[in-house]
Amino acid sequence: MEQEYIIAHADKTVLRISGLKVHGLDTRQLEELLEKKLHTFVRVIGVTGEHVEMDVYNLPPEQIAQDEQGVIHTVALAEGITATDLAKITCNKKIVDVAYDQIPDRPISDCPRERWMKIR
Amino acid sequence: MRTAYIIPTGDEIREGIVRDTDSPELMRQMLAFDPTMEVTRLSPVVDREDTILRTIRQVVERRPTLVVLVGGSGGGHRFSSTLGKDYTHSALEQYLTQCSWHEIYGKNGHMWCKLLCGEKDGTILINVPGPFVEAQAAIRAFLEAWGRGLELDQISRAMAQAVFEQYPAGAAERPD
Repeated sequence: MEQEYIIAHADKTVLRISGLKVHGLDTRQLEELLEKKLHTFVRVIGVTGEHVEMDVYNLPPEQIAQDEQGVIHTVALAEGITATDLAKITCNKKIVDVAYDQIPDRPISDCPRERWMKIR
Repeated sequence: MRTAYIIPTGDEIREGIVRDTDSPELMRQMLAFDPTMEVTRLSPVVDREDTILRTIRQVVERRPTLVVLVGGSGGGHRFSSTLGKDYTHSALEQYLTQCSWHEIYGKNGHMWCKLLCGEKDGTILINVPGPFVEAQAAIRAFLEAWGRGLELDQISRAMAQAVFEQYPAGAAERPD
């Protein structure tokens, strides 16, 4: 049976907004609102009752930070999200590349990033 | 007559924090593919590997044509403490003694998605990612490949390619 690895060479920033009340969220609607605001691809990757975590592609963290209130306002436009007074960006980091050609094959219980971190 | 089960997974889906928009989309596409298909959407399953595994076993005992698990396909908690627990792919892999799979990694070394496709006791089992556009693309690719009578390897590859194409343009590298 075929078992294959694919590497996606895409730049992204991990963005988390906390201090929200979330219930009944349509994640695609939130993605579309932010894509319109930021003019790039956005993917919701994690949601709890208090925060939303997203991947924002091809946009540096600095550019997102410049308009923190605008981003929070846009997020709050999505059905199922209410921004509290405590709403803020709690994570805004560009992903760090790993050198795949330098990653040891083992231990297989570790993910590639964990194995890469051990040799640094 | 074909029968299918959709199994949404995730605490956030079960608790209603996130609306399950994937299942209706999967059902829409499945019914467009085969209007006679009998499709059942189960109550969302919590993010626990043993619970997901038990649910898969129970569903396959009913001998359906197809089982589709939704969500929990990434690295999740293995890479970030703030992300959900992604056990769907590992539960499915445990259940399927033989299957095709494709893992999509980001350049940060994180596993973004693992898609599996296998068969057991006459039932085809697949998983699709939680993000709507990825779930939509994966099921479309599956139905097209399945409809053409392709092998499981080819179906799995078609699904992975369809999900990969949902990421912004970037070069794909397939390690030797």
